[in-house]
Amino acid sequence: MTTQSQFNPKLDFAIERFIDAPPRLVWAALTLPEHLKEWYMPRAWGRVARAELDLRPGGIVRIDIAVGDGPDAPNVGCVLEVVPMERLVWTSMLFPGYRPAVFDDIPITAIMTLAPEGSGTRYVFTALHRNEADLATNKASGFYEGSEIAVDQFVAHALTLR
Amino acid sequence: MDHPRIGKGHHMAQVATDQVFHALANPTRRRVLERLSAGPATVSELADRFDMQLPSFVQHLGVLERSRLVRSAKRGRVRTYELVPERFAVVEGWLAARRREWEARLDRFDAYVKQLKDKEAAP
Repeated sequence: MTTQSQFNPKLDFAIERFIDAPPRLVWAALTLPEHLKEWYMPRAWGRVARAELDLRPGGIVRIDIAVGDGPDAPNVGCVLEVVPMERLVWTSMLFPGYRPAVFDDIPITAIMTLAPEGSGTRYVFTALHRNEADLATNKASGFYEGSEIAVDQFVAHALTLR
Repeated sequence: MDHPRIGKGHHMAQVATDQVFHALANPTRRRVLERLSAGPATVSELADRFDMQLPSFVQHLGVLERSRLVRSAKRGRVRTYELVPERFAVVEGWLAARRREWEARLDRFDAYVKQLKDKEAAP
């Protein structure tokens, strides 16, 4: 495999779960927009205003979120790997078509794996994150909009005001 | 729709985390917070700093207040906003918070897949 990811427990996490349904259904719930809309957001907080998933490397992953009567918050990323019923990888570090872009302040590469186990599915969700120190440095060096403050820095500051 | 394994407390903590991260995810709202870290300010004092229609700006203030990173009080006809510093503790340990967010999401996913399965099994 050329796609080895270095799992760093300080930056990343993995969640594993046995789901009592066959991989076929788990895959459908994970990849079909009409299903995604049903579980992606907590109902008490918001909803998925628009979902799109083009299941091929370079394809779009889009899960726009709406909170209350506020405007939709777009979330656009790029699909990296698709092995039907087995493995899906996407990232918010890229726009569709591998165009370099970062939409999130804390971008993520999400790796979802499915394996049949008895009558059900062993499901693992892994989230890889960028180094937060890099993020703060980039912001401080004006890589982002000059007037923007580094969130981490600011939060640390706000906590000192307690 | 919540999975039985999520306690109410867990769910509320999850919503709180979502709201705080959502509030922090916008540059205008971060600049408002930055300004408020210097001390309380009225709506017009805050709005003067931004080239934005007042209704849009008030919407940002609403998001901030719902996240409880700020609170407001009305004195006469003037509404004043101030920071709630202790609330920023939610962002500490951001990895733990994001893990909780995805765990809650997986609980909902799990419950939803079971629904799909039951629907298929139904005659």
